[in-house]
Amino acid sequence: MNPIALSMILSSLALGTILTVSSNHWFLAWMGLEINTLAIIPLMAQNHHPRAVEASTKYFLTQAAASALLLFSALNNAWFTGEWSIMNLTNSISCTTMTIAICMKLGLAPFHFWLPEVLQGLNLTTGLILSTWQKLAPMAILYQISPSMNTSLLLLIGLTSTLIGGWGGLNQTQLRKILAFSSIAHLGWMASILPIMPQLMILNLIIYLIMTSTLFLTLKTISSTKISTLATSWPKTPTTTALTLLTLLSLGGLPPLSGFMPKWLILQELTNQNTPILATMLALSALLSLFFYLRLSYSITLTSSPNTSNSPLTWRHNSKQPTTLLSLMLISSFFLLPISPLMMS
Amino acid sequence: MIYMVSFFMVGLVLGLVAVASNPSPYYAALGLVVAAGAGCWVIVGLGSSFLSLVLFLIYLGGMLVVFAYSAALTAEPYPEAWGSWSVVGYVVAYMVGVVTWYVVEGGVEEDGVVGLAGLEGYVVRGDWVGVSLMYSWGGWMLFVGGWVLLLTLFVVFELSRGHYSGSLRALE
Repeated sequence: MNPIALSMILSSLALGTILTVSSNHWFLAWMGLEINTLAIIPLMAQNHHPRAVEASTKYFLTQAAASALLLFSALNNAWFTGEWSIMNLTNSISCTTMTIAICMKLGLAPFHFWLPEVLQGLNLTTGLILSTWQKLAPMAILYQISPSMNTSLLLLIGLTSTLIGGWGGLNQTQLRKILAFSSIAHLGWMASILPIMPQLMILNLIIYLIMTSTLFLTLKTISSTKISTLATSWPKTPTTTALTLLTLLSLGGLPPLSGFMPKWLILQELTNQNTPILATMLALSALLSLFFYLRLSYSITLTSSPNTSNSPLTWRHNSKQPTTLLSLMLISSFFLLPISPLMMS
Repeated sequence: MIYMVSFFMVGLVLGLVAVASNPSPYYAALGLVVAAGAGCWVIVGLGSSFLSLVLFLIYLGGMLVVFAYSAALTAEPYPEAWGSWSVVGYVVAYMVGVVTWYVVEGGVEEDGVVGLAGLEGYVVRGDWVGVSLMYSWGGWMLFVGGWVLLLTLFVVFELSRGHYSGSLRALE
């Protein structure tokens, strides 16, 4: 891509999110979201192969529909109440349609079908942007309007998302689709805790962003996009592949790792709010996700048995990819649990 | 004042006749410009000068680009203007229709004014001031809008770049 166009597109990508996050007027927030969508389209289609073009078309259509619904809800609210500020979303119809619009933007459960297919069509770097940076703006809006959201609708969407994310990932062999379903499941956890304690949603978002960046960067380092190449990828960077076991278990939410913190706190808060059935179902749906994380970790780490290898090793150069960000992300996706009192305060 | 509005209303009707009488696209676009301009002047006469300005800019700025493209696509060596026989037939028929309608339905009212008694003069009505105020106070949002348009241009360039290796390919 032309460097001038690339710099323009990347700065607009940043500008869109920052505009949305920092605005208190619905119109400007909508403009930021649209800038965001427009700016990532050429990045998605940069290789010009049919699957990438199809993915960017799907992404554009869903995001444009969701943005239109968001603008419609904001206009409705302004029409009935004369109020354009994001914090004052009071009209009940607008609240419901706004919830649906943002869930569609994020890829939450009844509107999740675009996410695996779009993510599968992208390369890993663009996929990383799509599943981290592009989540920030809708999440910021969701955080701001959380007091006026429809609680039962959000809880329903959250529970459905965790279940769909768990079940959908079970039968996949393509890593980017698995990551998409993992994203759906994690966003479901965030949507479930949102009407009860929005701070926990932010905490879960941060931890999820760290863990999924780690996994995307790892996969980029070993340049692997499906399970069958995971098993032979350990000679490229043995340490990283060994640590990927911990990354995956952290994504699954096992205790001594960072990923356990948001699940623990969310379950505790749900139990405190007298919703034990919801908490139990969320915990059980996490087991579904854990199954495919375990399968990934089995393929990537546990199949290299300690004896003479009778299969040829993958031929490789020394990797020249920058790993500074990856190492930072790896550390923070393992060791954040002990400082959870600090993060909660 | 009243004569100006009447003049532009006649211009509006004549412009629409010029469009509808099926000439070549070049001349139809010219007729459309006349009709749009005359219609906007009528709106000015009815008191919404800001609305009229916005309508005029958007109409001529946006729609004429489309017309330029369609005219370029249907370029013909011998374009037919209003002098050609096929077009003159339409013009005469439409004019007869307009005059008939005027005689039967319209007519001259008692004070000699053609149904435009409630003119307010060149006044900007209060509710349209709000639109201009939005762009006055929120002027920097206009800059963001301009940036979005530029970005869209680059996005379209980037997507349509590369001819046979680009994203836009003919189905084969």
